[in-house]
Order: sequence, then structure tokens, then C-alpha cells
Amino acid sequence: MTESFPMLLAVMAAAAFLCRMAGFTLMRFVPVSPRVEAALRATPLAVMAGITALAVQAGGLAEGLALASVVGLTLVLRSDVAAALLGVVVVAGLRWMGL
Amino acid sequence: MRAPFTLDGFRRGARDGVPLAVSIFAYGLGFGLVAAQAGFGVGKAVATSAAIYSGSAQLAAVNLLQTGQATAWALFATILVINARYLLFGATLQPWLWSAGPLKAYGSLLLLGDANWLMTMRAIRTGEEDRAYLAGTGAPIAVGWLSGTALGAAAVSVLPAPQALGFDLMLPCFAAGMVTAMIKTRVDLLPVVVGAAAALAIFHLLGPAPAIIGAGLAGGAVAALVWREPS
Repeated sequence: MTESFPMLLAVMAAAAFLCRMAGFTLMRFVPVSPRVEAALRATPLAVMAGITALAVQAGGLAEGLALASVVGLTLVLRSDVAAALLGVVVVAGLRWMGL
Repeated sequence: MRAPFTLDGFRRGARDGVPLAVSIFAYGLGFGLVAAQAGFGVGKAVATSAAIYSGSAQLAAVNLLQTGQATAWALFATILVINARYLLFGATLQPWLWSAGPLKAYGSLLLLGDANWLMTMRAIRTGEEDRAYLAGTGAPIAVGWLSGTALGAAAVSVLPAPQALGFDLMLPCFAAGMVTAMIKTRVDLLPVVVGAAAALAIFHLLGPAPAIIGAGLAGGAVAALVWREPS
């Protein structure tokens, strides 16, 4: 490695900055039709489903049970934040039990 | 007409961001620990967290730096690939956020992360009008991320592993809860199923970084395809 750390850090920061700004900037030139709006509304749903699916796949029984309990608790408690926090408690408990 | 951007909206966002900030703090501890093991001091670790501000990208960068083979181009490319999902996050926020004016919009994007993007998209769906909400959710998360990094890098050996407390599963838990709460009609189920399937398929073919962006693109594309003029 020949470059100094501050230089490498500046390069990495530039890449991260570019990703944060570029999608937003390009979207300014896309007219938002109802069809595009439907796509924008669906995107977070798909990303969240993807994050959950990957976590279930990467984890074991404890992770699967905890995430399933979050889905159930959200429907019962009508609060996704409370359900998510309880899900963390569930996975910690199951791991502590050695699952 | 500029959209509202007030202290009230910022406060609302900050309040909603606090539970997420707790998990980001624990994640920051984890990054600080890894950075310290790679020979970073506290200052260097915190500078990295502030400059890149993305956990997965930073972990990959530290791994690459540890090999001693890291070039500036390799680091630049690594972060572009891992953070490519931010292109999608920015694009989905654009129609809502732009109406606050360019300075406030771009300023808010500096605090954009996975967790507060999800939180903000949820709030927009339920009618949040105040554009300061995004920066508000980002504020406690940034504090948690930087203080977690500092503590993790400084006090490596005395801390319990974040996994033991379940904090590593916090973001998936929030994702599972929010997606459940956001499904209102049968039309909403389609991107959920497509997103999950696309993430798993792309993960097996290409790895974790393209899996998330692929899920978002596939879900968005399907929703655009099935959209029909309301009659």
C-alpha cells in the first residue's frame, strides 16, 4: 500500500457520497407518472422483504422464529416498532437457551 | 411553494429514530471492535465512520485494507458496489424530498442510511408532509453510530459481543415489522413476494451486496408492470 490513509479515506468518502447523491439527482429528470409512483411505493416493501428473507436464510432456527414472531406481534400489537424490539428480545432469549 | 421543513418535523423524526439508534450504536460497537483489531486507533475508526457512514461498506473496506493490497481504485469500486442500493434509496425519496428545496434536500441526504430510509418511506406512506423528518431520523442514528464506533475501538476487550444481545438482528426485525404493517391491500403483497424471492436468488448467484438492490428493482418493476389506471 503506497497511498496514505487520509487519501484513501477521502476516496472512500467520495464513493459513498456519490451513491447518496446520484440516484436522487438522476430522478429529478424522470417524470413521475402514476406508474413510476407505484414502482417507488413498492420499492421499500420489496427491500424490506429482501432484508428479512436474507436474515432468515443466513440465520438458524432462533432467527427464523424471532422474525416470524415480529410478523405476528405486529398484527397483534398494531405497532411495528414494539414488535421489532420484542423480536430482538426473542432472539437474544433463544440464543441464550442455546438454540 | 416549498414543502414544510420545520423543527417539529425534525423532532418527530428524531423520536422515531431513537429505537433504531440503539441498534446502530451496537452495530457501531461491532465496527469499532473490528477496526481496532485491524490496527485502527479511536480517531481513525471514528473518522472512517464519519466519512463513509455505512457499516457494510466500512467493514468491507477494513477487510480490504488489512490485506495490504488495497489500492485507491479497489476501495472506490468496493464502496460503489456495496452502497449501490443508496442510488435506489435516493431515487425513491426524490419526488417527496425535492420540494423542500435543493440545499435542505441534499443536506438531508448526507444522513441517509438503511434504517432511516425505511423509517422515512413508511412515514411518507402514512402522510408525513414535513421534509425535516428524514434529517430528524438521521440525527440520533448518527450519534449512535459515531459514539458506538468510538467506544468499540477504545474498549474492545471489556464489551459483550453485540450478537449475544440480539442487536445484529435489529434491522431485519424492523424490516419484518414495518413490511407487515405496510401491507394494506393485496396489491402490496406482490412486491413483498417478488422482493424476497429476488433477494434469495441474487444472493446465491452474486452475493449479498447486489441482493438488496436487486430486490428493490424487481419489486418496483413488477409494481409498475401491474399498475392499472383506476377505473
